[in-house]
Amino acid sequence: MLGITLIHQERMLFPNLTVAENIYLPLLAKKNMKKGISINKRMMEEVARKYLGLVGLEIDTNAKVKDLGAGEQELVQIARALAEEAKIICFDEPTSPLSRREAERLFDVIRDLKKLGKAVVYITHYIDEVFLIADRVTVLRDGSKVVTKPTTETTPEEITRFMLGRSLEEFYVERREKKAGKTPVLIVKDLYTKPSTSTSVPLKGVSFELNEGEILGVVGLLGAGKTELAKALIGAEKIERGEIYLYGRKTRIKNPAEAAKLGIVYLPEDRKNEGLVHLLSVRDNIILPLVNRLSRGKILRDRSIEENVAKDWIIRLQIKTPSAETRVINLSGGNQQKVVVARSLARSPRIVIFDEPTVGIDVGAKVEIRRFISEVARSGVSVILATSDIDEALSLSDRLLVLDKGRALGIYTRGEIGREDLIRILSGEPRKA
Amino acid sequence: MERTTIRNIAKRITGADEFKPLVALIALYLSSAVISPYFLSVYNQKILLLQATPLVLLALGETMVILMGSIDLSPGSTMALAGLIAALSSNYYGLDIRLSILIGLLIGALVGLINGLAVTVAKIPSFVATLATMVGARGIVLLITGGESIYGLRGYEWLTDERFFVANMVWIMVVFVIITYVLLKYTSLGLKIYAIGGNEEATRYSGINVDRVKVVAFTLAGLYYSVAGIMMDARLQAAYPWTGYGSELDAIASSVLGGIQLTGGIGSPIGSFIGAYILTLIANIMVLLGLNPYLQWVVKGFVLGAAAIALSRGLRYVK
Repeated sequence: MLGITLIHQERMLFPNLTVAENIYLPLLAKKNMKKGISINKRMMEEVARKYLGLVGLEIDTNAKVKDLGAGEQELVQIARALAEEAKIICFDEPTSPLSRREAERLFDVIRDLKKLGKAVVYITHYIDEVFLIADRVTVLRDGSKVVTKPTTETTPEEITRFMLGRSLEEFYVERREKKAGKTPVLIVKDLYTKPSTSTSVPLKGVSFELNEGEILGVVGLLGAGKTELAKALIGAEKIERGEIYLYGRKTRIKNPAEAAKLGIVYLPEDRKNEGLVHLLSVRDNIILPLVNRLSRGKILRDRSIEENVAKDWIIRLQIKTPSAETRVINLSGGNQQKVVVARSLARSPRIVIFDEPTVGIDVGAKVEIRRFISEVARSGVSVILATSDIDEALSLSDRLLVLDKGRALGIYTRGEIGREDLIRILSGEPRKA
Repeated sequence: MERTTIRNIAKRITGADEFKPLVALIALYLSSAVISPYFLSVYNQKILLLQATPLVLLALGETMVILMGSIDLSPGSTMALAGLIAALSSNYYGLDIRLSILIGLLIGALVGLINGLAVTVAKIPSFVATLATMVGARGIVLLITGGESIYGLRGYEWLTDERFFVANMVWIMVVFVIITYVLLKYTSLGLKIYAIGGNEEATRYSGINVDRVKVVAFTLAGLYYSVAGIMMDARLQAAYPWTGYGSELDAIASSVLGGIQLTGGIGSPIGSFIGAYILTLIANIMVLLGLNPYLQWVVKGFVLGAAAIALSRGLRYVK
């Protein structure tokens, strides 16, 4: 207990315990705590409420953490760090799962921490955040330090250049000019879902069409139902009512295996738990959905064909790995994500659903994956891109579906809507006439 | 340059899943040879092989299940039920011995199928589902036999006849080891089994029909157990109702000794084969030394504990 706390990207909470217990638990390890055999529940809840108040989270302290949204979980974790009275608090990408409002609240909390004399290390990909809260900035690239500067003596542009090691223009992936087709491959009518967990948001009457070779962006704040929509389409979320027409035929998909057979694949948001098989090699992860097709008589594996397929993808997506045999667990986050992308596309799907494909990965990999998504659509594949990064959504999508608490707020065509409009819609204000 | 290649080869050998179990087996062989002059005799080695054979089959089946991150408690009972049904078919109903054996094997596969469906369709955790079949199958065996053995089985001699120095059933066991190795390491089903054990959710989202793989693996495992049951019939020339009682634990212990991780996804069936051999060897040497037979349980316990420590070195924590 040196007073250093890390607020990690992958939330280190106990999902099976309540909010209050999560906040209180580290205190039990403190020496100066008055310890008894029993825990005073009321006191525990009081402590929890006090620190939750500091991060501006109003929530039932008896709720199980697993039932909270990602953003709420993050705030609970920050509250816990505050309860621990950490002297140095490290934040690792704290805002990536947060809504704008929640992020702003977090910045206020961080400024308060500074006033209390606490040192804050803030790890982020978002350069604007650095200039919002940091006094000094250090840029790391490929495992080594590039520069450390006071924020007053540098600019976002300069920092981006340091980060990328290449020019700024390349950072923005602009969508290709070729127009998407007009043939709808997927029509969703009035979709209602039953929440599968207490955290998932029920969809309430979402309708849209997805055309051939189109990128349909799905945007919304935390708890808008983006992941639920994606999962409903591949049969991983219970559909209550509504109709889905796939390639013109009414379909009800039962599970992801059936979806894959029909040419729909889903690239999960949760890379660690739903994306990768960490113990397997890069090759095995990529060819996993194809293994029957690549095997002799569908049974006996053919390593040389598998190797070739895997190597093609490694080159195509520029996956940085010592070899195809390397276990994925040894790759960086960005490269792991590329492996998931490769696997999703290895089966030559007709529809790909990307769920937050660039969250929590470095800028270089982000750009490469965005460019790849654009390329995939150009080849005629229809893409649903669920993202909380509005720049990503705006730059890549042909049309945008805006969700809010399980309802569709509207569908906007590219060019019809700008960054400011979108922010206004998402923050619940009426659109400017 | 040359030194690095040698180092790489050495690293590949020591890093293999089978390395630690193999070293343990060799060490046990050497020390047993020193302790008892009879240990290395041809006669004793043949007995050792014969004793290990059914357990190897149980361990291989168990391994397929554990690799998926599930567990199977039914090997011992399935083995007894399959052996009994085969014995009844030939001795009581007078069916052809080949047909009787086939029926026995199908019974084993059926128990496995029930396990698989219980886990996937009824969504019962494998521990509970296979606990139910373990108890239930043993109950059926006891009901049918009334606790008595069926003696005087004929037609199994071809399994105990020797060819190239050892009994045919030992060769059958060797073939099963090779088949299982190929199945797990060189087939699409094998990759899916490892993938499910590594991350079941990810495997589902990549479009693999996980439930189907599980049903197939459990059914195959049941088939393996019934092969062990037929082998027990052959060795004892009787169907004994308590055959395989407690063997599920030996099967799990063999897998653990062989470096199969109970959380799934890691290990080689060759390791489980070695693990089963180690367990049998311990019992064998105790008999040779004329020690109290109950002592073997204590020794097995110690070996299992020591193996677990050796295998979990380098891990930060385990559950």
